[in-house]
Amino acid sequence: MNTIQLMPLEAIECGAILAEAVLDAQGHVLLPAGLALETHHLEALARRGITTLSIQPDTDAQERAARQEALRQRVLYLFRHTAAEPSAQALLHATLAFRLEHLQ
Amino acid sequence: MTLPCLTDITARIQELPAISGVTLDLLRSLNDGEADIDALSRRISQDQAIAARVLRVANSPFYGLQMKVGSLHDAIVVLGFSTVRSLVVAASVVCALPATHCPGFDAARFWRHGVGTAAAAQALARALGRNPDTSFVAGLLHDIGRLVLVVLLPAEYARLLQQSRQEDRRLVDVEQEVLGFDHAGVGAALAQRWNFPEAIREALAYHHQPDPAAGHGLASLIHYADAIAQALDLDEAEDSQMPHLDQAAVDALGLDRQALNTLLAETRVRFDSYRLML
Repeated sequence: MNTIQLMPLEAIECGAILAEAVLDAQGHVLLPAGLALETHHLEALARRGITTLSIQPDTDAQERAARQEALRQRVLYLFRHTAAEPSAQALLHATLAFRLEHLQ
Repeated sequence: MTLPCLTDITARIQELPAISGVTLDLLRSLNDGEADIDALSRRISQDQAIAARVLRVANSPFYGLQMKVGSLHDAIVVLGFSTVRSLVVAASVVCALPATHCPGFDAARFWRHGVGTAAAAQALARALGRNPDTSFVAGLLHDIGRLVLVVLLPAEYARLLQQSRQEDRRLVDVEQEVLGFDHAGVGAALAQRWNFPEAIREALAYHHQPDPAAGHGLASLIHYADAIAQALDLDEAEDSQMPHLDQAAVDALGLDRQALNTLLAETRVRFDSYRLML
């Protein structure tokens, strides 16, 4: 899902992309939309008393999470008849860990 | 219609395409020491299809050779006799047993799984200090009985494949239910007929139900290698499913988490090399 996230300032990490411009009380643009936030931007906003920002969703992270979930489901499908069997446990867990680690 | 019994199938094994004399000699010599390199390379070089497949694998990144090897003789010198011998056996069997038309049977998938199991078996054997060449060949051939059934009973086997898919059941269980025997028994009969080493015959016979207490060491190893190949999706088939793992066989292998992780990685790398022979 690609909805804009309203995030608390302290939770935002360097590199996050501003989804909407930050304006001052007079409507002047302090920071434009699309800017990759750096530490000094975050510190300046905190000094101005700004507590939340609209951040673009991290699509790379979302896609990665989706691929990981698809892979998890695939492995569970392979083990669909044996996942509950004690003899399969070690291979199931090792396979999940190995395939997730090597996911392209 | 009366379905044939295992004895009928065994009696019809001579209808299969012939496997070359040199391949059979190599198969039977898997447990022997090194033979005459020149004699082997001369004999195999006469079959260009086999030699080309072996050289493709020998020149793959897995072996990390500085220079490309252009002949079987060079491959033996660089990689060692036993490595090339097992590659030759594998390439010969793949060349010798093309599948006839059987709806629902995917020969490429069959051999990908065979090569995947061979790669896993070889990695397992190295980890456990067992014979990697015998393990490799046993892994490659573990389902060969299925190919025999496809060639000798294409229409009947097509129905089994369809039933297995529709009911989402393991093919070996459907074989047992409908035929009263399974591909493991057929593979063992083939191994007997072609005079494979006894350990390989036993591995083919018991790879679904090994009994470590009865000394099924190679069968237990192939049992687990089969599962590793499935777990890594090496056959690239949508409807794959894991085989049942026998607890005693798993325990007998004694693999800890670290060993398992290494095994999965080794299998993956070896498979990418060996699949070049397909």
